[in-house]
Amino acid sequence: MSLQADSESKVLADHGEPPRATAWIYEHSPRNVWRAVFREDNFFLVLSVFIGVLSGLAVVCFRYAIDWARLYLLGTGVVLTPLRLLLAPTLAGLVIAVLVIHFFPRTRGSGVNQTKAALYIYNGQIPFRTAIGKFITAALAIGSGHSLGPEDPSLQIGASLASVLGRKMRLSRDRMRLIAPVGAAAGLAAAFNAPISAVLFVIEEVIGRWTAGILGSVVLSAISSVVVMRWFLGSESMFRIPAVEMTQPSELIAYAVLGVVGGIASVVFASGIGILRPAFKGLPRWTQYFQPAIAGLLIGIIAVLGAPQVMGAGYEYIDQAMHGQFTWQFLAILAGLKIVATLLSFVSGTPGGMFAPTLFIGAMLGAAVGGAERYMFPYLTISPGTYALVGMGVLFAGFLRVPMTSVFMVLEVSGNYSIIVPVIVANTFSYVISRGLQPIPIFDMLTRQDGLELPSMEELREEDILQVEDAMQPVEGPVLDAEETVEKALQHFDGSRGEDLLVRLSPSGWSTVTRDQLRALASDGKGTAKLGPLLLVARIPYLHPDLPLETALRYIERWPLVPVVSRANFQQLEGVVSQRSVLDRYREFGEG
Amino acid sequence: MPEVQEQKASGERLSRVRLYLRRRPVMLVLLTALTVVFFVFVAALSRAYKDQQTALGNRWFERGVADLSGKRYQAAVTDFRAALLYSRDNYTYQLNLAEALLGMNRRAEASAYLLNLWDRQPEDGLVNLELARIAAQKGQMQQAVRYYHDAVYAVWPSQKEIQRWEARLELIELLLRSNAKAQAQAELIGLSENADEDPGQLNLLGDLFMRADDYAHALAEYRSSLKVDPHNAKTLAGAGYAAYELQQYSLAEHYLQDAIKRDPGDKDSAERLKTAEMVLRMDPYQRQISETERVRLVIGAFNTAGERLQHCALPSGDVAGGEAGQGESLDDQWSALKPQITKRDLQRSSGLADQAMDLVFRIERQASLSCGAPTGPDLALLLISKLREGNRF
Repeated sequence: MSLQADSESKVLADHGEPPRATAWIYEHSPRNVWRAVFREDNFFLVLSVFIGVLSGLAVVCFRYAIDWARLYLLGTGVVLTPLRLLLAPTLAGLVIAVLVIHFFPRTRGSGVNQTKAALYIYNGQIPFRTAIGKFITAALAIGSGHSLGPEDPSLQIGASLASVLGRKMRLSRDRMRLIAPVGAAAGLAAAFNAPISAVLFVIEEVIGRWTAGILGSVVLSAISSVVVMRWFLGSESMFRIPAVEMTQPSELIAYAVLGVVGGIASVVFASGIGILRPAFKGLPRWTQYFQPAIAGLLIGIIAVLGAPQVMGAGYEYIDQAMHGQFTWQFLAILAGLKIVATLLSFVSGTPGGMFAPTLFIGAMLGAAVGGAERYMFPYLTISPGTYALVGMGVLFAGFLRVPMTSVFMVLEVSGNYSIIVPVIVANTFSYVISRGLQPIPIFDMLTRQDGLELPSMEELREEDILQVEDAMQPVEGPVLDAEETVEKALQHFDGSRGEDLLVRLSPSGWSTVTRDQLRALASDGKGTAKLGPLLLVARIPYLHPDLPLETALRYIERWPLVPVVSRANFQQLEGVVSQRSVLDRYREFGEG
Repeated sequence: MPEVQEQKASGERLSRVRLYLRRRPVMLVLLTALTVVFFVFVAALSRAYKDQQTALGNRWFERGVADLSGKRYQAAVTDFRAALLYSRDNYTYQLNLAEALLGMNRRAEASAYLLNLWDRQPEDGLVNLELARIAAQKGQMQQAVRYYHDAVYAVWPSQKEIQRWEARLELIELLLRSNAKAQAQAELIGLSENADEDPGQLNLLGDLFMRADDYAHALAEYRSSLKVDPHNAKTLAGAGYAAYELQQYSLAEHYLQDAIKRDPGDKDSAERLKTAEMVLRMDPYQRQISETERVRLVIGAFNTAGERLQHCALPSGDVAGGEAGQGESLDDQWSALKPQITKRDLQRSSGLADQAMDLVFRIERQASLSCGAPTGPDLALLLISKLREGNRF
């Protein structure tokens, strides 16, 4: 295309037109713009918008489906009859088990992990059947009162839709791999009504790296889906956020306490899944027909005994907790019961997500801690709403182990940046405690339980990266100067054991010379000549101490010595790396 | 053979169409069409969903309104909560839920809803009024007054004058209960400007002015009321009390006599009338009485004060005023002056009557401080002392 453009501009130039202008006109001709749109990188962006729109529409339908399931299974009021409370989740559990076992086996498990598996194992392939199965079974489960949320299924529906579109559009393998996370971001953004958090979550937990190409697509799809979702469901945030303020800096201690409590609760929740899920999976196959039903029955019993709030996603109760409509003792009980109910639903293999239960537990725990602190220290100007809000972030950080998303999620949901300091303090405590007591993050634990080995984003984030300075060694011999004569350079060699010496070039740059090369030059009668012009190798590359060690691998095979120089002064030699020093360092690292 | 060729040709055509359909621009067009179709489908679904939600919300709301008007607050709370499931941000549902919660005395929850509503419509009269009531119950006086003021000047959907009147009345009651009488007077003046010619309203204003110790405005309100309803015993009594407090005892006597005539069982008015009559009868400073009568009244007052001294042991020294530097007790002063308080001495010495009455007033004031509120002639003398403070013959 560029050759053609050049020739055409030349022709035009011959006719007296200014070449630069004609090139511009040509490049921006409708035909070329049209072609540019369909170049894969640009087309991927266009496709991201469609993925966002379609995912948004699918999530809207999913939300309607959940609400309808709730209406017809549990009834229309807030006070539900005990019979319905017991029967709806139990019977729905039976139906779900049959659907999952016979029709949609891949709907079990975490949508996040299945999206990661599509990215890292299946070249972006997620069967559309999975989306349909997730839609039906999760809507039935959540609508009937199983303690699960719609976010993870929404994420998976988005990823699956994106995967189908990618296949139909015959995208390259590289783009196909990325398309599932793009759809996942769209699904999650629509479910949460929080595009920034969705983008961050997908980058932080699914993709694990920031590049302009990925970010652009993920952002476009997330925004598109949220626009569509708001078109149909309105732009109100998920919760009515109470006035948020922190008047005394000493309250940060109270938030730190919340972080500690949240961290411990996260560990209890995650450990419960870690222990119970394999145990339930290990039971005879026939029991899988009854596991969701029994979980549903137990949740129904909890509801009949006085805590119907634990059923379903429970957003309306989070809202009520934020507005101080429960006592702190009852809030603490609700947090505990929700952990139990969610464990039952999730480990029984009922499809549904853990985002909403995590938010529920966090909000209840936060408001309970806030209420208890206010009871004990009445002089603190503690608002339960603020604590509920911070509590949601705390559980997100501790249980899901997504520290960045947890902070932005609270900010985005609350729309109040004055809360950022308490959120960061509490989330940090929660994250650190959870990581200390539960080394394997929940998503990695689920992956391993499912027999897959996907990259752990937390491990990747914290992986030690070897740098050039780790393999760098001091310069053993003298450093020659390009202005020196060959004879003088040979004299320097006499005091050195090595066969190669570095040569500092003027005004900048580095080269290398061997003893044999110098001897050959001397024997050719060039002993009094300056070394610089006679060097066989004009320049060699150099490195800086902070560069990743893998950068050195590009050079060490060709150059026996690679200089490592200061970033401030390229003539200042910090050390050298050689093939041997680099390989030795990698060997040491591998041995532990 | 031609059939085979035809089949081959159609196969080629089909594969060409397939190839054509796989071109990205064509795929994009198809994708756009699919998106539009899906959008239209979801829009239809959304309409059905919203209609159903609205119907359910209204159904539960109507049940809630019925329960609320029947004062079945628990049921109303449940109904309104159910209604809010289908329209979370519905203003009316939330307001009614708050009302029901207040009915159950769950102020904290109600307050949360009301504050949320206030954020959305700070000019809503009912929300401000309810928030004012909650703040008043919590003893948060400043906030309560602020919300009451907002309620007074707020937007009311219907009967706005009545609603504003009621809100202001509540505020005044609160202020009076908190003994913020100056603030209450200011609010009452504002309220009286909007009052009709209704005697009931005017009487109420008069009563409130009385409680706020603003007797002049109270008397004015009672008088306005009497213009419309001149025979109302309560109004007459009120006017009599106001005149009494304003030390207009003749006027008080007139109104109180009328009041007792209309309501002979009104003991308070009778008592007050008696005192007023005594004040008028015992006052030696009144004009249009003869010198002899004046002397007789001074002697009577002096003797009454003496009797008061006998029943009330006063501390030594004069703490109730009088000339400075007097070391003698009131009892001693009274005893010292007693021999001079005769008809002849009083008629002869023009300053003696003043001196005697000054001592009488000091005794009555001191006795009222030390021995409690006086009654009968002592009360009359105390009132005369207040009436004639600074006056001399």
